[in-house]
Amino acid sequence: MTEKGKTDWRDSNWYIGITGFWFEFKKHKIGIIGIVVLLMFVGMAITAPMLATHDPSPNNKVAPSFLAPSWMSLFDPTGVVTEQRIPDPYFTSNPGYSIVGTTDGQFSSAHGDENSAYGQSHVNLTWSYTAGSELNFTEDPEGQLPDSGDFIYTTQTFDWEYDRLPSDVNITLSFGTTLTGDFASEFGGIMFRVFIWLIDSSGDWQKVYQSNPPYQHDPLSRRIDLNYFDIAAGWRGMVADADGNQEDPLDELTVAIGLAPTSNFETFIGDHPWEYYTGSVTVSITELKMVPYGDYFGLLGTTDKGADAWSQLVYGSRISLIIGILATALSTIVGVVVGMTAGYFGGKTDEILMRIVDFLLVIPGLPLMMVLAAFLGPTIQNIIVVISILGWTGTSRLIRSQVMAEKNKAYVESARAIGASDTYIMYRHILPNVTPILFADITLGVVGAILSESGLAFLGLTDPSEPSWGRMLADAQGTGGFSAGAWWVVVFPGLMITIISLAFTFVGHTLDQVLNPRLRER
Amino acid sequence: MGLREYVIRRSIYMFLLVVAVVCFNFFLFRLPTLVLGVSPVDLMISEELRRNLTRDVLAQLYTRFGLVPDPDIFDWIYMFWRYIVNMFTGNFGISFVSQKPVMDELMARLPNTLLLMGTSSIVSIILGIYTGVKVAADPGSRKDVSAVTVALFIYALPIFWLGMMLLMTFSFYLPALTDGFINFPLGGTIDYEVWVSAKTDPLGSLVIAANILHHLILPMIALGVGGYGGYFLYMRNNLIDVMTEDYILTARAKGLDENQVLYKHGLKNAMLPMVTIIAMTFGFLINGATLTETVFNWYGLGRYIFESLFILDYPVVQAIFMIIAITAILANFIADLLYGVLDPRIKYG
Repeated sequence: MTEKGKTDWRDSNWYIGITGFWFEFKKHKIGIIGIVVLLMFVGMAITAPMLATHDPSPNNKVAPSFLAPSWMSLFDPTGVVTEQRIPDPYFTSNPGYSIVGTTDGQFSSAHGDENSAYGQSHVNLTWSYTAGSELNFTEDPEGQLPDSGDFIYTTQTFDWEYDRLPSDVNITLSFGTTLTGDFASEFGGIMFRVFIWLIDSSGDWQKVYQSNPPYQHDPLSRRIDLNYFDIAAGWRGMVADADGNQEDPLDELTVAIGLAPTSNFETFIGDHPWEYYTGSVTVSITELKMVPYGDYFGLLGTTDKGADAWSQLVYGSRISLIIGILATALSTIVGVVVGMTAGYFGGKTDEILMRIVDFLLVIPGLPLMMVLAAFLGPTIQNIIVVISILGWTGTSRLIRSQVMAEKNKAYVESARAIGASDTYIMYRHILPNVTPILFADITLGVVGAILSESGLAFLGLTDPSEPSWGRMLADAQGTGGFSAGAWWVVVFPGLMITIISLAFTFVGHTLDQVLNPRLRER
Repeated sequence: MGLREYVIRRSIYMFLLVVAVVCFNFFLFRLPTLVLGVSPVDLMISEELRRNLTRDVLAQLYTRFGLVPDPDIFDWIYMFWRYIVNMFTGNFGISFVSQKPVMDELMARLPNTLLLMGTSSIVSIILGIYTGVKVAADPGSRKDVSAVTVALFIYALPIFWLGMMLLMTFSFYLPALTDGFINFPLGGTIDYEVWVSAKTDPLGSLVIAANILHHLILPMIALGVGGYGGYFLYMRNNLIDVMTEDYILTARAKGLDENQVLYKHGLKNAMLPMVTIIAMTFGFLINGATLTETVFNWYGLGRYIFESLFILDYPVVQAIFMIIAITAILANFIADLLYGVLDPRIKYG
């Protein structure tokens, strides 16, 4: 281009080309819809760590299996809502304490605020013992109470306003232990235990946790998953029967954390530790949380393994986009190179390359992908390669036919006349002229790749720890998701696959309408 | 070049393709052995079992499955020769898992697959052609745009998910809502009780047929919908292309009414490429639909190839692969010939 005076950047070839293209493109409503939806998916894939509420690994159990999405509780006003129940989980105020038994001054309690020893608020339960003091060892016939009739505990109480059992309950307890005197010796850790009980309003105690050595000074978090019997013993009495009667007088439940000596203290290996141990045990409780799960969880509920479905769905967009785009890029490159070579050189080269294409076209597609994916292993790279092995044949045929039409035109002739090499002519002169027709092919190729990936994932041939939409459907199918009434594990992942491929299809269809000269002439 | 020469050339070409597929198949299913050095025997017999078996029993097992332990180059040539001979004589060997001839296993499943794929293809072809013609008469109309959008939607739809949704709606939620009035089976090909009781029933075969049809409906709808989009778009675009030809203009100029132009002149010509596509479809029928068959637990070849692959039953996978590829080659051949015979404009060469 010769330049006289000022040239505006708006006069450049690419700007005119793109504005002209955009002018045509924006006439097609579905193309615009497709682009908007695609941008949303790209945004979702990029911001996935922010959007996801949990670790997206399909094996990361965060709640019971097949819980419904929480917005479904709108249709079920009496349903249990999942939330943390302990009123003061970090012990910011002193909860007080109780002592069971009649012993003299062995047990005590103290409260520390955030400026105290641990740097966080806590409550201390202390058992200080002098050799030879009295302790009352008994055996609880129901096995709920500790070996010693003398112990100390602190409580927190919450209301249970629902007339239903929770589907599962998790308790998180953090405590550190300070041992002094003889308790700091080798066997000190087996002389006491920390317990958690559920005490209902009728006064029945249900032991849900007892600690085991070793103990350490710094607070350590323990996660306790209550079994069915614990839940039944704690909550059943608060659930009214058909006549509206309930077993317990009040709708409240008390969680007690206790510190008690064990029977080892009386009888350890024939010795009698109680005769010569002197020292103290201090348990500092820094955190107590209880989460009774309702029938609802998260934005989209939970999967068969109890993982958060929403997080998996968000991260699934990454897999689909990455595999869809990279597999198509790879097969387009191969297809273009093969198609250009075959079309430009013709003759023997053309014959050989097209016979290879014919061969690949009669090989059954999905079975070949399955076999290769099984042989090569289920990494993302392999899935991309497997999908593109069969994906390039259509592109190469398309390019070949275009190149055959282009190569006899005058501009190729003149390029050859001034001594341009074949490669130069192919890639600098012919390729730009056949590119427009390629765009629609690429976009529709992405749809094929995304659908292939979801199919392979559905058959379990992709990485099982990687969250993807096909994998979610495979889990739903394999565990009978919808026969458990969990329609949300079936509907949403498939909907995502459909929407993203539909967006690519819309864009591809529009590109075809705008750029395909055969269609434009009409 | 005449028709005769054309047929001969295509036949030679077809034969070469078959040879290529057979060779490819051999190496594809021995990839783990060739690349990773896994003995095919190991895939079948565990190390522990092998230590406990006597040399004679092992040798018997090897010959039974046509395997050679620790093969050298001559053993490979020998295995390749045995494989080629077996493939061309239709002896596909014995399944590692069921210990039955692969051919028997395939034959047990083939009718189911053909039934499912055949009915669904017919449904989607008829619907596709019908709506394609209806819409092509008036391209750009509201009807046309919405039909194309629906076809694009179907193109983007994962068919196995459609199957899951159908199954969930018609076999789980609707039976519960309508108290069993609408009730479709949760997958399978036939109910075992029906199969057993029908044996003593004088009208047994009718009962069995009815039961199979009952199981067939949902997967057939899923596959039929899945195939519809492609046929519709192809038919529509072909017909729209044809309608711009000069002879259509001539027909209109003669004063023929629009229906006659569309059906007599347009459709006849637009159907030609459609015939090729349909012939190809029937070639791929045997391919089955792995995903849909898996969703509906359909006792067919598509699911069988997947299951065999999962339990490393290579003789089976190899045989199915082989049969599918050869059927596809034959279908291509027939489609080429049909096109040549039906369209007098085609010059062979």
